[in-house]
Amino acid sequence: MGIKVRVVERKGRTFLEQLYLVEVAKGMAVTLGHFFRNILDNSRLYVRHYPEVKPEITPRWRGRHRLTRHDDGTVKCVACFMCQTNCPSHCIMIEAGERHDEKSEKMPVRFDIDLLECIYCGYCVEACPMDAIRMDTGIFSVTSDSRESMVIGLEQLLETPGGFAESDYKKGGG
Amino acid sequence: MSALDILIILLRIAFGAFVPLSFVAVLVWMERRGAAFFQDRAGPNRCNVYGIRAAGLIQNIADAIKLIFKEDVVPGHITYKFYFILAPMLVFITALLCFAVIPFADALVIGDREYIMQAVPMDIGILWFLAIVGFGVYGIILAGWSSHNKYGVLGGLRAAAQVISYEIPMGLALVSLLAVYGTVDLSAMAQYQGQLLFGFIPAWGFVLQPLGVIIFIVAAFAETNRTPFDLAEGESEIVAGYHVEYSSMKFALFFMGEYVAMFVSSALIVTLYFGSYQIPWLSTETLVAYARPVVIIIMIGLPVIGWLFGEWIKKNNRTHYYRPDDPRSRETTIYISLLWSLVAILELILLCYVIFAAGGVADRILVVLLQIGSFLLKTFLMCFVYVWVRWTLPRFRYDQLQKIGWEKMLPLALLNIFITGAIIVSFN
Repeated sequence: MGIKVRVVERKGRTFLEQLYLVEVAKGMAVTLGHFFRNILDNSRLYVRHYPEVKPEITPRWRGRHRLTRHDDGTVKCVACFMCQTNCPSHCIMIEAGERHDEKSEKMPVRFDIDLLECIYCGYCVEACPMDAIRMDTGIFSVTSDSRESMVIGLEQLLETPGGFAESDYKKGGG
Repeated sequence: MSALDILIILLRIAFGAFVPLSFVAVLVWMERRGAAFFQDRAGPNRCNVYGIRAAGLIQNIADAIKLIFKEDVVPGHITYKFYFILAPMLVFITALLCFAVIPFADALVIGDREYIMQAVPMDIGILWFLAIVGFGVYGIILAGWSSHNKYGVLGGLRAAAQVISYEIPMGLALVSLLAVYGTVDLSAMAQYQGQLLFGFIPAWGFVLQPLGVIIFIVAAFAETNRTPFDLAEGESEIVAGYHVEYSSMKFALFFMGEYVAMFVSSALIVTLYFGSYQIPWLSTETLVAYARPVVIIIMIGLPVIGWLFGEWIKKNNRTHYYRPDDPRSRETTIYISLLWSLVAILELILLCYVIFAAGGVADRILVVLLQIGSFLLKTFLMCFVYVWVRWTLPRFRYDQLQKIGWEKMLPLALLNIFITGAIIVSFN
C-alpha cells in the first residue's frame, strides 16, 4: 500500500497572474456582479431580517434550561446532584430537601442556574438520570440588564415551557 | 472689485470648502451600504427620523451624534499633548486644502471678465497638490509618534515608508502627463481635454496615457492609505495603527480626513485623466452655442430618469417579510412625491430659462452648472471605484507593497516617460 501523493498545482506563477492587473479585473467583475444583483433587487440579499424574522431552531439546539414535571405535575428532579457534579463551569447550585409526594426521598428546595457562568455544554442534560433537566426551550437569546436576574431559580425553571413536541425532542436529542 | 467679483469669490470658496465636507457623508454612506451590497448584506438601514431612512443616510447623523458625545480621552502617558492634538487637524486640513486648486467648471465669462472656477485660482495646480498631499502624511506620522504607543509608531512608520515609495511612481507618472499637456495648471489641463483626438475620440488623459493612468491610480490608492495599501491601520496586525489612541471627535477628524483625501484624489484622477469637468464630445463652446437644444434634451430626459428611479424605489423600498400596515410603503409614497416634485421644479426652472433667459450670461451659467454636475458625477464614480476596490482586494503584505512600488511601478513609470518622450519628439 503506497502513500497517495497528490501534486497540488501552484497557482499565480504565469505572466498574466504576475501582472496582477488581469486578476484584479476578474475579481472586481465578480464583486460588481454581486453589487448590481443586490442593488437592482434587494430581496435577493442573503440576510435574515433578524429581530422581526426569527431563525429556525432545531430540537437538538441547546437553549436555556428548564426543569420538567411528571404527568401528575410533581417535580421530576430528585436532587441527586448529578448535574451539579458534572457541570464544568459550576453554574448549578442545588439545595436538597425532604420529599412527601411518595415519588422519591428527596427533591430540590433550591435550584439556581447562573446563566452568566453556564457554557451551554449540555452535560447536565446528559447526566440527569430522571430526564428532569432539559435544554429544549428554544430560547437562544439570553439577555438582561442586571447580574442578579441572570441567576434563575427553581420556579422560573419549572415555569418555562418546552419549545418542541415531545416526539420531536425524543427523535432529535434522544 | 465689483460686487459680482466678491460674490463669485465667495461662491468658489464655499464650493471648495463645503463640497468635500458634504461628500464625507455621502462617502461614508456609500462605503457602508456599498460594502454591504458587495457582500450580499443589507448594511445600516434601520436608523430613521419619523420612519424616513433616506436609504441609510440617517445613520450618518447617528454616527456623528455618537462621536460628538463620546468622551474625548487624552491618555495620561502622552508627553506632547500639543502634537497629539495637532495631528488629526493636520490630516484633515491638508486633505481639504488639496481641493482648492482643482477646477470644477470651465472659466465663467461674464461680460469681458473671466472667472476661473477654482477655489483658489492659482496656476501652479499640480505642484500645490503634490506639496500639500505630502504634508498629509506628516499628520499620520505625528499621530503615531505622539501617541507613545508601539502600534501607533508602527502605523506611522508604515505610512511614511509607503508614501515615500509611492510618491516617486506618482511623480514620474505626472512627469509624462505634464509632457503631454505642456502645463502644470489644472485648468489648462482640463481645457486641453476638451479637444477631440482624430476628430472623434475625446482627448482625455487616459487615452493619451494608458500606462500612466494605471500607475497614477495605484499610487493614488497608496497615497490615500486605502485598501489594498492600508497597512498603516492594518487592524489584524497593528490594531488600528496610528489612530489607536484617539477617540471621539479627534478620531472623527482622522476618519473624515481619510474620506476627504479619497474625494480629493478621486477629483484629481478625474481632472488629470478622465476629462475633468468636460462632457464628452460637448466642449464648452459647443455647449454655449447649442444651449437651447441641450436644455430641451435635458427636459425630455429628466422625467424618464425620474420614472426609472421611482420604479426602482417602489421595487426595493418594501419590507421583505409579513408586516401589518407596512411603514415602508408609506415611506415610499413620500419618496416618490419628493422625487416628482423635484423633477417638476427642475422642469419649471429649465422652462423659465428657455422662455425668458436664453442667450448671453444665462447660457454661460447654465454651462458652468452642467460642468459642475459632470465633474461631481465623475468624481462620485471614481469614489465608487475606491469603495469597489476596497471590498474586492485583500491587503498587501508589507514586503509585497514595497516590491510592487520599487520593482514594478518605478521601472514602468520610467518606461512610460521614455515612450511618451519618444512619441512627443517624433511627432513634433
